[in-house]
Amino acid sequence: MIARAGALPDAEAVVERVREAADGVFAALGEVRDATVACLRPRGGRPVAADLAALRPLLWARLNGSRLSALIAGIGFIAAPGLLADAPWYLEWWQENPAGDPVQLLRDLDPSSSAFYDYTHWDWYTGPHSGAERTICGPYVDYLCTDEYSLTLSVPVVLDGVFIGVAAADVFVRRFESAVLPALRRIPATAFLVNAEGRVVASNTARWVAGSVYRGTEGFAVRPVGDLPLSLVTAG
Amino acid sequence: MNVARHAVFSPVDSTARVDAVVRRLADAIAVGLLADGEQLPSEAELAARLGVSTVTLREALMALRQQGMVETRRGRGGGSFVRVPSELDPGVRLLAFAVDELRDLGDHYAAIAGAAARLAAQRSLPSDLAPLWRSLDEMAAASEPGALRRLDGRFHIEVAAASQSARLTQEEIRLQADIGPLLWLSHEALGGHDGMTTEMAAQHQAIAGAIQRGDGDQARAVAERHVLDATEHLIELRLRLQE
Repeated sequence: MIARAGALPDAEAVVERVREAADGVFAALGEVRDATVACLRPRGGRPVAADLAALRPLLWARLNGSRLSALIAGIGFIAAPGLLADAPWYLEWWQENPAGDPVQLLRDLDPSSSAFYDYTHWDWYTGPHSGAERTICGPYVDYLCTDEYSLTLSVPVVLDGVFIGVAAADVFVRRFESAVLPALRRIPATAFLVNAEGRVVASNTARWVAGSVYRGTEGFAVRPVGDLPLSLVTAG
Repeated sequence: MNVARHAVFSPVDSTARVDAVVRRLADAIAVGLLADGEQLPSEAELAARLGVSTVTLREALMALRQQGMVETRRGRGGGSFVRVPSELDPGVRLLAFAVDELRDLGDHYAAIAGAAARLAAQRSLPSDLAPLWRSLDEMAAASEPGALRRLDGRFHIEVAAASQSARLTQEEIRLQADIGPLLWLSHEALGGHDGMTTEMAAQHQAIAGAIQRGDGDQARAVAERHVLDATEHLIELRLRLQE
């Protein structure tokens, strides 16, 4: 039995801080989704990869110079396989670059030449594809793009009722931690955030460090974080 | 200030940076993170991405060209493209290693693979396990040796990623680049043209099974055994070559 958490001002502050951080990223993803639909809708026939170049000013702006960009390390649109006429597999994906302008690393992907390029099995793709409005994938080791321990937030992109891909953003766990740790540390007892599966995302104790798993141990109260697939777990 | 102390604070040797870039790209090509024929970003973009000067990047690309891992074409549609070198003659490749080096590489790889498997058993969740079983299913269905080898590499990287450690995962990728092609050679020598023995498949199943059961000790033991068995066979091959 897991006790339902009652009102606790410090816990509410954590929930608020997490919602603020996630809402900011999801708001940017809403913009990417709308811009993708806007740049593909007017086109007669099947779109091509170059059509997605229209997204770049928006993607670069979300990687540079705003409060949000301190969280977002990569952002873009991932096409459903077969959407584009000239690239069966394609990411319009941009990553921050401390030395200058954002950079695009992966473009054409061909799963027949590399065992790593079929992206349709990753949770950040399957979540939105199966209808989830807001997916938070991870924490996981992102060996495909950044080699970092990351979260990927994603939303579905739908054009005229048809799923055409995913708008997504990468947030490094260490940055998410910096955003929420001050609030977590104000809770006097053990407190940590977990994802829907129970993986710890951030914590105020080494006992439940990010990456470990909370499997419903007794003696903890679990409270949802808004409608996000995250929960705040507190002792006592 | 004495000379030695002065050297400590002198700029990092630019050849070290070239080597670092060569190693990074060569690793990615060797394990298939960058695919054969794939176009690399422009030199300026790649230099910015890696945080090195364009000059350093050009030197690194030149070294990769010499190793046959990158091909540069001029003119329209030009640029730098990934080339996965075709297999060297196994004997030639293996002769480059002394037995002692093979043993040491195997020890290092077994330590990393074992530690990663143990942590994966402690920490993995259904979303980490699904990729492992998918890779094993695809391996069981694969007939072409190249595809089998890529899937084998992916399986072991997925195990490392399930440990939740970015460093262990990076080390697994690096070691696959160093010793992966050689270990595969030993698998092929054992398994003939199929490139995979039933024993190897059974070890993969045992690793994934122990991780799924959350049995860290067993996961570590079978992951180490998997590497050490292949290393042992490789050393046998190497010893025979010397005669």
